[in-house]
Amino acid sequence: MYRYDEFDERVVRQRVAQFREQVGRRIDGSLTEEEFLPLRLMNGLYLQLHAYMLRVAIPYGTLDSRQMRQLALIADRYDRGYGHFTTRQNIQYNWPRLRDAPDILEMLADVQMHCIQTSGNCIRNVTADHFAGVAADEVEDPRPTAELIRQWSTLHPEFSFLPRKFKIAVTGSAEDRAAVAVHDIGIRIVRNAAGEVGYRIIVGGGLGRTPMIGKTVREFLPKDELLAYLEAIMRVYNLEGRRDNKFKARVKILVHELGAEAFIARVEEEYARLDGPSLNVDPAELARIAAYFAPPAFEALPEGSAVLDQAAARDPDLARFVRVNLYPHKMPGYTAVTVSLKPIGGPPGDATSDQMRALADIAERFSLDELRVTHIQNIVLPHVKLDEVPQVWAALVEAGLASANAGLVTDIIACPGMDYCSLATARSIPIAQEIAKRFADPDRQQLVGPLGIKISGCINACGHHHVGHIGILGLDKAGIENYQITLGGDPGNEASLGERLGPGIDAEQVPDAIERIVDTYLELRHADGESFIDTVRRVGLDPFKPVLQPKEPARAAA
Amino acid sequence: MAAGKRAALPLVLTASDLLDGDVVFYAGAGWARGLDEAAVAADEAQAAQFEAILAETEAKGDPVAPYLMTVRIDADGALVPGHVRERIRSRGPTIRTDLGPQARQERQHVSV
Amino acid sequence: MPLLDRNGWKPESWARDAAAGAAIVPFDQVEAVLGARRPGQRIGVDLPNDVHPNALLPWQDGLDFVAIAFPRFNDGRGFSLGKMLREQGFAGTLRASGWIIPDQFAFALHCGFDEVEISEAQAQRQPIDQWLQAPALIGETYQDTQDGMISIFKRRRAAAEAA
Ligand code: SF4
Repeated sequence: MYRYDEFDERVVRQRVAQFREQVGRRIDGSLTEEEFLPLRLMNGLYLQLHAYMLRVAIPYGTLDSRQMRQLALIADRYDRGYGHFTTRQNIQYNWPRLRDAPDILEMLADVQMHCIQTSGNCIRNVTADHFAGVAADEVEDPRPTAELIRQWSTLHPEFSFLPRKFKIAVTGSAEDRAAVAVHDIGIRIVRNAAGEVGYRIIVGGGLGRTPMIGKTVREFLPKDELLAYLEAIMRVYNLEGRRDNKFKARVKILVHELGAEAFIARVEEEYARLDGPSLNVDPAELARIAAYFAPPAFEALPEGSAVLDQAAARDPDLARFVRVNLYPHKMPGYTAVTVSLKPIGGPPGDATSDQMRALADIAERFSLDELRVTHIQNIVLPHVKLDEVPQVWAALVEAGLASANAGLVTDIIACPGMDYCSLATARSIPIAQEIAKRFADPDRQQLVGPLGIKISGCINACGHHHVGHIGILGLDKAGIENYQITLGGDPGNEASLGERLGPGIDAEQVPDAIERIVDTYLELRHADGESFIDTVRRVGLDPFKPVLQPKEPARAAA
Repeated sequence: MAAGKRAALPLVLTASDLLDGDVVFYAGAGWARGLDEAAVAADEAQAAQFEAILAETEAKGDPVAPYLMTVRIDADGALVPGHVRERIRSRGPTIRTDLGPQARQERQHVSV
Repeated sequence: MPLLDRNGWKPESWARDAAAGAAIVPFDQVEAVLGARRPGQRIGVDLPNDVHPNALLPWQDGLDFVAIAFPRFNDGRGFSLGKMLREQGFAGTLRASGWIIPDQFAFALHCGFDEVEISEAQAQRQPIDQWLQAPALIGETYQDTQDGMISIFKRRRAAAEAA
């Protein structure tokens, strides 16, 4: 894991002192609310429906047990004993007070964490594949790149008042688990024909009101040119991105309106005039950062584990957990364990402070002191010995964290929606809860197989509904919550946006509709266990359309 | 109507406390934490007065993000926000009835 | 309008009057005014923030001063514009003019601005000590800056090499 050096430490500490001082000037009237707003947003503090909300960055989703314990302590001391893990590898507290915010930031700084640029019209928390350093299909660990970008973008004098927020994601694997195609900039670490490692740069993806898949603007950027090239993109965006309409201000609209070719030409022109050598960092500095992410001290273990096999043979619940929640590790004898924050009937992504402490304890004992936060709102224990999975599982059961549903129909992404969010047009969480209850039977979930349901409480799409295999968007129809269903979205390698199935339906009808969609899929799928998304791609939406018709009018009439 | 986009009558003036972020309602002499204590504008003249207080509050910046919100008055005389968003905002999350003003109210109800 | 730099309030020495000895003129008049320049007259320009810095290239050697407009404090185009003007060799006085707040003063200095011109009302609300104190609050940057700060990346290398 990255460790701050004296410079990083000073920046974060000074940032806390600066915010304390800014709060003081807000209270004494020197700063108006309008002026203070972007300052508090760039320190992660929103004003939400019931209270302020503080969003803490978990850069590229990696944290250790000490940091997780501190998050728990903050939840207890300054919030209501829980936190919400988001789709962008952040944690949010729902009830902090403005007067306490500087003290909370101080506590975060104590464990090398911060809220810098988790909101506002600036470069946001950089996200990465949650299986970084674990997956066998990795060209290179994406986290050194993400950390480099984190540092370069921190308090960037030119790019702190952009037309709109700006999100960057990095993946180093063949399989894209970071949804790079739907970010303002997506970065894929690739190898060229000569075997050199570099970056494919994708710009202009995004969800929200106008969902778009990003365009590749550079097939292969040499690794040591990254920062200058990013600087060129940001400059073009800062100068030319629209500022007349906040719904058209993201870079995706600029790329779309100019056309990819013209956009690329502008970027290349700017790139040519920039002083690359002074912007790009010395390879020795890159190596310094990368060294922090060197593989931990793995033991030489045999493939497989008789201990685990025997335990799983004795306990069907463990066996199910192993089947569903384990991801293969590149090292023999190890595995990555997904800890689902989606218990049946619980708010997706929420964890209590006790659960956070339990996770910290488990990670410290069994996962080389490392945890990951995923954009699917789950936690990953990345380096668990197969032999110790039974102990990990028992500890998770104890903490109420052993739901065996990773990647299944009840592993639902849901944004906070109208229960917390001031921008919401409808609730998300209760919809997720009701759907999960319908599919509570673990056998049924396994029969259905991989299926991602994603729910957003408004067009801003924080729940990524456009790229849900089943997407649900909550809207306001004349004061009543109304839900639009889309099918066929996918965030991965073959990124696609879901298509609308038909007119919106009321909240009470959503669980029925989802059940009927799943039933229709089970009837249509090929016998070889064809997945939901593959089936939708093969048959299209038509066979699913009848599910939105009112159910069984005949019986009602009888 | 002069203000085409103004919330319909009857209405209350609401905002968020600057230091705590709590939802507050204009209560005549100050700002209260509970909707039941809110002052209600029932006619155009009162609404105009509320609009003036709204503008003053905005200029002062404390409490923050003030706006007018339509309510109805139910059979028991209690104020009920017209829109589901405002109902949730005035009570607390529907998925956590132990949090927000609703928890406070429940405790009061228990003690009655 | 009140004017300040990193040392405090300063008197205005320019006038938005083409006949003045130190004259600020609108961007679209720059060619004409430079053509009619009196001996010893200093010329500056008011640059809106939607003009690309390339457009100033033909004139910039004849200019002593550029004021870049900040119509709203959260419109950050001026920061890129200022930095780009410096990078393309503009060596005169660079002013941020309009609405910027003390919390952005460090960014303006880092991007190559020398001074800031704000409204009277803002100067009342945000006294000079707030402006002078603000840039000192963050003493490190991850970027090289136009006001001479060396990026943390480079300082780490320097420290490693010295060790
Ligand atoms: S999608 Fe809308 S409702 Fe959900 S968190 Fe984002 S802004 Fe709020």
